[in-house]
This record gives sequence, C-alpha cells and structure tokens, in this order.
Amino acid sequence: MEDDNPLSRQSSRIRKIAPKLSAALLDPNTRLQVAQARLDALENDGVALDTAEADEDEDAFAGDEDLGFSQKKAPKGSKRKTRQAKALERLGNTKKAPRTFLEMLHETNLEALPAHVPSYLTAAVGPPNSGSRRHFCSVCGYLSTYTCPRCGARFCSSQCQIVHNDTRCQKFVA
Amino acid sequence: MERSVAAAEAEAAATAAAAVGVEKIVVLDNGAGFCKAGFAGHQDPVAMVPNCLGRPRGSKRWLVADQVQECDDIQGLAVRRPMDRGYLISPELEKEVWDRIFKVLLNVKPADCALLLVEPLFNLPSIQKITDELVFEDLGFHSYYVADAPSLAHIYEANRRPESLLARSDCSLIVDSGFSFTHAVPVFQKFTMNYAVKRLNLGGKALTNYLKELVSYRAWNMMDETYLMEDVKEKLCFCSTDVPFDLNVSRKRGNSNYIKCQYVLPDGVKYKRGFVKDPGAAAAVHLKKKNVEIEVNGKHIDEDNVRTRVDTDRASVGTTETRRNVIVVDEQELTLTNERFMVPEMLFHPADLGMEEAGLAECIVRAVSACHPDLQALFYSSVVLTGGSMLFPWCKEKLELELRPLIPDEFDVHVTLTDSPITACWRGGSLLAASPDFGDCLVSKRDYEEQGSLRCRRRFFH
Ligand SMILES: Nc1ncnc2c1ncn2[C@@H]1O[C@H](COP(=O)(O)OP(=O)(O)OP(=O)(O)O)[C@@H](O)[C@H]1O
Ligand SMILES: [Mg+2]
Ligand SMILES: [Zn+2]
Ligand SMILES: [Zn+2]
Repeated sequence: MEDDNPLSRQSSRIRKIAPKLSAALLDPNTRLQVAQARLDALENDGVALDTAEADEDEDAFAGDEDLGFSQKKAPKGSKRKTRQAKALERLGNTKKAPRTFLEMLHETNLEALPAHVPSYLTAAVGPPNSGSRRHFCSVCGYLSTYTCPRCGARFCSSQCQIVHNDTRCQKFVA
Repeated sequence: MERSVAAAEAEAAATAAAAVGVEKIVVLDNGAGFCKAGFAGHQDPVAMVPNCLGRPRGSKRWLVADQVQECDDIQGLAVRRPMDRGYLISPELEKEVWDRIFKVLLNVKPADCALLLVEPLFNLPSIQKITDELVFEDLGFHSYYVADAPSLAHIYEANRRPESLLARSDCSLIVDSGFSFTHAVPVFQKFTMNYAVKRLNLGGKALTNYLKELVSYRAWNMMDETYLMEDVKEKLCFCSTDVPFDLNVSRKRGNSNYIKCQYVLPDGVKYKRGFVKDPGAAAAVHLKKKNVEIEVNGKHIDEDNVRTRVDTDRASVGTTETRRNVIVVDEQELTLTNERFMVPEMLFHPADLGMEEAGLAECIVRAVSACHPDLQALFYSSVVLTGGSMLFPWCKEKLELELRPLIPDEFDVHVTLTDSPITACWRGGSLLAASPDFGDCLVSKRDYEEQGSLRCRRRFFH
C-alpha cells in the first residue's frame, strides 16, 4: 500500500517546492536567506490566509487523508445563518491581513528615541556571548560532524548521509 | 468546604467592586496564546480560552475562543490570531474574542464593570491607542487599569510566600515565558525596572513550530497540524540537563532507550484527539533520570513496571523500525526520540538554530547586570519562573545548571518555579484589583472621553 510509506506522504508537499529551491541553495547567500525564512516561519500560525486557495486544497485532499471529513454530512436544517455568524465569516475569511507587528514597529520609529529611553528595541537580548553554535544531524538529530556540499544540511553518519541524499537533499518543508 | 470558598470569593469580589463603585471588577490577562479572565478577589480565572478564531477544515464557520478549544475537528484547523509577536494587531479579531469572554463566559455588562487589563511590556503607543478604543468605545467599560505581567507575577509570588526573601525584600527577577516571547524582568518594590528588561524572541509558539518542522522533516508532514503538535509538545517534551548523554540514549535500540515514545495521531474517526500511546513508557525518562516514584493517571508506577511496558512496546515495533530516528509504526503513530528535549533546548541555545540571540541563562544575567550593583544579589536569590513555557519538566534544574557558571561565586542563585505558571499573573492581578486603593489607579470612561488616550495612559505609570 502506497499510503503506508511515510515518505510518499510527506513528499507531495516537498516536491512542489523543490525545483525552485534546489538551484538557489547552491549559492551561500541564498542559503542564508533560506535559513532566515525558516526562522521567520517559526512565528507563523500555519494558516492559509487565502481561503479560496485553502478550499481547493481541501478538495484535493478530501479523498485520501481526510476520510473523517468527507464522510460527514453537512449539518441539517440551519441553512439560515445568524447575522453574527456571517459577520464572523467575513472577518475570518477576509483576505486583507492585518498589519503585522513588525510593520507597526517600523512605523513607530523607535530608533529616533534617545538611547537611554527603554523601548522594545532596547529590551532585545542581543547576540550570544559564550559558546559557539552546535550542529545537529538534520536526519536524526544527533550531533553532526558533516555538511552536505550541495545544500549545506548537516548529518552525523554515512547512514544518515544516504537518507539525506536519497530523500531530502535540496528539498524543503515549507 | 468548597461552598464556603466560593462564598468567600464572591464576598471578596463584591467588596472590591463596591469600593470602586462598580458592579464587578474584571481581570483579564490577555495573553497572545490564552486569555485568562475572571473577577478580582477570586483565586482563579473563570475562563482560560485560546485568544483566537478557528475554523475546522472544510467548515465555513469560524469558532471563537472556548469554541475552538472544544472543537473536535482539530486536524487542519485554520487559526487567526488578534496578536502577532505578543502584541495586538487586529482589534477586530480581539473584539470577537472579548465579546465572547465578557458577554458569554463571564456574563457581565462592561458598562457596569472596571477592568484590569494585562498588557505586554513596551507596548507601542499606536497599539495602546487601539486598545483603549477597544476597551472604552467598542466594549464600553466603566473604567480601567493597565498592568504588566511580571509585576503581577511578583505580587502573586510575594503573596504566596510571605516569609520568603522575595516578599521581604519586595524584589525579584521574573522570567515570563509564554506564547510569543520570553522576558527576564527585574521587579523592585512592585515596579518593573523597564530599562533592565531583556527579551528573547522565543516562546511556546516558536517551540511548537520547531517541533512541527522537525517531525515534518523526519517523519510525517505535520505542517498544518499546529494544534496537534502543541499537544505533543506539552505532553512529551522536557528539558535535558545533559544533552550529549541524552542524545546517546535516544539513539540506542531496545530497552535502554527510555526516551523514545509514541504519540497516537487522531484519525478523525476513531480518535478525535491525539494522545500519548503509553504514558508509562513516556514517563520512563523520569525514572531513569531521577530515582523518584511517579504517578501516571493516578496509577502508581515503579521502575520494573515501566521496563516491562517498554519491552512490550519494543516487541510491537519490531520489524517496522527503520534506520531513521523517528519511525512511523503505522498510520496513526508518531515516534519521538531526541525531539523531546531538543525542542525546549532551543530556549537555552537559540544559536544552535542559527538565531543571533543569547539563551535564557544569559538573558537573565544581562537583565540583572543592567540593575544597580547593590540589588543584583537580591535578584539572583529570587529568580521566579512563570508562563506556560516554563512547564517543561526539569526546566528549573537546567536553568540553575546553566546560570551558575555565568554568575560570580559570591552570589547565591535561587530559582523557583511558581506553583501555577499559566495563571500566576492573573492571580496577581486579582490580588491587586481587590486591594483597597485600586480605585485610585483607575481611569474612567469619562476621563478618557475628556482627555483622550495619551493623557490617561500617563496615569498608569509611576
Ligand atoms: N505543560 C506544558 N509544557 C510546555 N509548554 C506548555 C505547557 N502548557 C502550556 N504550554 C505552553 O505555554 C504557552 C502558553 O503560556 P501562557 O498562557 O503563559 O502564554 P500567554 O500568556 O498566552 O502568552 P504571552 O505571555 O506570550 O502573550 C503555549 O505556547 C503552550 O504551548
Ligand atoms: Mg502571558
Ligand atoms: Zn544522523
Ligand atoms: Zn544535501
């Protein structure tokens, strides 16, 4: 059964993005950008803000991975929505994303304050003093000693290198 | 017994409200992750609900706050949050959450209530303005007061341990690690020393997303399952006090790998929610580390018992084991090993991830070092951990280990995890709002209408 193979399931998403990235990853500058994008992603809500697109995705997946949903019937009766529910729907689905905090921060121009005035900027902890960066294997999480020459990913052993080359090299989860 | 506690609380709440001349005093810790809301004078908040709207996959209907929490369709749940990086960015979304909290969960009329609102440190003036509008114009509160989380956590801790050095010196170093960020904050005589505050841009949200990323890269694609991964994180992650050692354990095969454990993923049919497959096996890590006895689901477990359970587990894994560290036993199971401690590790060493930020221990040292030298000993002897992300087992122990070498020998270091990290701040707010002179601090709707947001704001700070 195809679906029993975890790799087949995870790879659908990866393949979509890989071609664009693989070339870019060869360049150390873009590698840095990719690393930054990855850090920024840690603040994501994991929401597709564009709901139209999200709906298409749902249809595409309903067959294989969302059995629970597709078996369910639409709620009976209650076709008439309350006004509040409608307002909520509009609010939730609005494509206009609110301004982000970083945009609002930028507009506030805290840089113009004298250095002794405490602000969001002065409170930032700043770069580390001590210790250097430790590296961990991207495949298994163990301490790593090797770096992939093609994509810069880390691995710890020849076993993990094989896994990396076979399935993950130059592929990204976004 | 319980009845009398409730009665005493109700009385305290009524007295406090009467002193201010309102029907009720509402206390709201508006965390980016969770809103905690209730009445001044109570021990605990009435409502603790996600500060977001959520829409189940395939549904058109958006759920609000507690409805999101109760929803059974958590797979692929879409979420919209009024807060970004800890700060309010969408008053429209926040209004929906607050309406739900005040009108349904607390069942109060804002016009008859005073509000104590907890706001993030260094809130931007533009955000303060939209917050004031929300409070007075959209909800129409009678009056309000703004406090920050660390000073309230300090009030709570001082009240909880009246004999402690912390209470006697009225001085502490509060570490608040919630959903969006982590702050190290010296509090002196109930005031936050804001020039010394240090912030690490990491909190529970980033940790959950990191776990999600690791798992998606190594096993299943969980990128759309934030909600689920948050549960995995809260149930299975812990802080390692010896990373190289635990890394070795976690790559062993068989019995000696007491870190590896499974989480059963919901399938939407049989299991609506995910759960830890074998809590005994998951807890084995506690027994190996420290020889303490623990209880899981009220059942007493001793070490042998855990071993046999781990054995049976191994047997069932058997052939499906692959060379990868995260293995998938069948469609519904997720196996975790070193992810369990490498995720919280990020709070202590963000540099490992490529973040240009000092870790938690250094963050504390920098905050204390920015204070007057005469006070530094007091801060180090009263470090208090609060916020949901301090709930990882061994967080305090790990922090003590990492802190000690960074601090001169002549200072004592004493770290305490408060007894209720998620509600400590709310509880402090409840105490403050029920204190006799709380009324003097309030800004009324009329003040606001006459003087505007900016002038009123000045009153909140010393
Ligand atoms: N047992 C646990 N172990 C680890 N983390 C936990 C645990 N319980 C809750 N958390 C995390 O704590 C966070 C919520 O904490 P808290 O309620 O203190 O934050 P908040 O006040 O909403 O956010 P902020 O203060 O950043 O605005 C969530 O990210 C949640 O995943
Ligand atoms: Mg908080
Ligand atoms: Zn490896
Ligand atoms: Zn590679």
